[in-house]
Amino acid sequence: MNTKRMRNITENSMRLVFLTCAMISVISVLSIIAFVFYKGLSPFVGNNAYSFWKFISGTKWDPNNEMYGILYMIVASILGTLGAVAIGVPVGLMTAVFIAEIAPEWIVKIVRPAIELLAGIPSVIFGAFGLGVIVPFIDKISPRPYGQSLFAVICVLTLMILPNIIALSENAIRTVPKSYREASLGLGATKMQTIFSSVIPAAKSGILSATVLGIGRAIGETMAVMMIAGNPIGGIPLSIWDKVRPLTTNIAMEMSYASGRHQEMLFATGVILFIFIMLVNITLIRLTSGEKKVE
Amino acid sequence: MKKDGILYACVYLSAAFTVSILVFIIGFILYKGLGNLNLSFLTNMWEDKTTFVVVSENEGIDEETISEGLNSWEIKSLGIVIEMNEEGNAVIKQIAKNSPFKKARNLQNNLYPLKKSDLITKVGSTRIEDMSLSEAVSAISQEFAASSEAIRVKAVRPGGGILPMCVTTFYMIFLSIGISAPIGILSAVYLNEYAKAGRLLRIIRFAIQNLAGIPSIIYGLFGMMFFVQILKMQYSVLAGAMTIAIILLPTIISTTEEALKAIPNTYRESSLGLGATKLQTIFKVILPNAIQGILVAVILSIGRVVGESAALILTAGTVAQIPTALTGTSAGGSTLTVKLYWIIKETGDLSAACSIAIIIIGIIILLNIGSKLITRHFLIKK
Repeated sequence: MNTKRMRNITENSMRLVFLTCAMISVISVLSIIAFVFYKGLSPFVGNNAYSFWKFISGTKWDPNNEMYGILYMIVASILGTLGAVAIGVPVGLMTAVFIAEIAPEWIVKIVRPAIELLAGIPSVIFGAFGLGVIVPFIDKISPRPYGQSLFAVICVLTLMILPNIIALSENAIRTVPKSYREASLGLGATKMQTIFSSVIPAAKSGILSATVLGIGRAIGETMAVMMIAGNPIGGIPLSIWDKVRPLTTNIAMEMSYASGRHQEMLFATGVILFIFIMLVNITLIRLTSGEKKVE
Repeated sequence: MKKDGILYACVYLSAAFTVSILVFIIGFILYKGLGNLNLSFLTNMWEDKTTFVVVSENEGIDEETISEGLNSWEIKSLGIVIEMNEEGNAVIKQIAKNSPFKKARNLQNNLYPLKKSDLITKVGSTRIEDMSLSEAVSAISQEFAASSEAIRVKAVRPGGGILPMCVTTFYMIFLSIGISAPIGILSAVYLNEYAKAGRLLRIIRFAIQNLAGIPSIIYGLFGMMFFVQILKMQYSVLAGAMTIAIILLPTIISTTEEALKAIPNTYRESSLGLGATKLQTIFKVILPNAIQGILVAVILSIGRVVGESAALILTAGTVAQIPTALTGTSAGGSTLTVKLYWIIKETGDLSAACSIAIIIIGIIILLNIGSKLITRHFLIKK
């Protein structure tokens, strides 16, 4: 009787241990949100508060003169991300089509490890590549006397989101049942017509998730972008040759030496970034859970 | 038909573009970085280290055969061959096993044997600076001949290597996975073996999915505020590892869970049917069968730690040193990736950065091969 009771106690206490471990993720998310928001929203309340409207609509970031405007950073983050997705998704999708539908087995055996390696390359190396190759190139073709620009950011972000988009789209394309292709080919469609009119529409939701994931990665990317963006102290980018300063790089550049109000403002930048990321995350979770229901 | 042709061209071009990017990046890194890469780059410290050592010339030197080159000179009585560097310091080119320099002691009276490629910048009261080879040889010989006592020598061990960063990276991998893997694996067990569908499960899953989407700079902000400042760990390996441990959680949980899901229910039923408790079933049947997934999760995590930079800059600092404690001022250290960024930021020296990049990409390739081998090994077994 006693051993049975002991056993029950161990079983139950271990169950509690498992549950505690699982709750660490929840606690982490909650405390990250709590800390970042608490610190990030504190400069906008109380005495000597900074106007939130000035923060969100200002176009100049000059901590020495108490000017904290991040509108131009928001614009930079959005433009950089949209540009990267606009180039990265079509190219990635086409590459996925190549791997999943067209390429013979031996080519897939070369291309897929290459893409996996590309996915594993750390962002600072993309930054070094951008600085050593892309920026000098843009410097040559740009009407401006420098190469660090929105265009450089878009180029590097495109390269960085490609492997993710390829992997997820390929997955989505492969899960389309064979019968779709057979039916389409049987009706007399060519291979390309089959791929673009039946397979890709059927894989739509997977490709959409890939796109959203790409957006999330691009908007949160920091180190690579920091090296090539130029990071000016103000001014909304008007052309792709302009220098930009996305939200992420603002935090990473100044956090190590900031203090007081300046540091709080960097956390506030983090709050804005976080809100964007949350929107992306929730969209993604909606999309993937919708997918499961369809299955 | 014409449209088909265009589409084909697009598809082939896209694939070629993707592969050529990789070739381009690796080619660029090799081209820039390969020149720097040699053994001393891997084994040296980052900073030059200047030490005063005491050398006593009392034991006789066996006439060991040390060869002399064109620009070097053997000082037989000391058992060393020296040459001059550009600043006119004497560089130890070769050193005999029983040279008194091998028995040098630092000012704390600990043994500090000089090594090949150490610089000698001062002997006794004579500075070895801006000297020609013959001047240096006679200066060193005279100083040692003039005194029967021990001679104080100022020696500089050259830096420029990435050993501290390699060690810090290793610590970081070891610590963060040591923290994250148990938590992640047990979480996966809970989610797959215990949890019943309901609100709690939905909340946990929502949290994990969100963790996976948060960019590392936000983790860095949190880690800097919570671990570095509130818990007073300062910029340290432990603060960095704790922050990364949270970053790793979603990967470890989802990869382990996939592995757990792949285990057929009959395993669980037969174990329980034989009278084993649920706990015994988990530790003796389920986890051993999920070992492949767990290993892959660990390998993925190593890759993530090696590549991480934004969160580490804010939590572990950027000092190029080997951490000697878990927290506090002597615990800070930069990993390879952080150093790569720092070199570019501080000096703009792309070639040194690319040399580090070669090492990092080498590690990533090894990890990719490793995870492939594991998957294949277990596929064959099954």
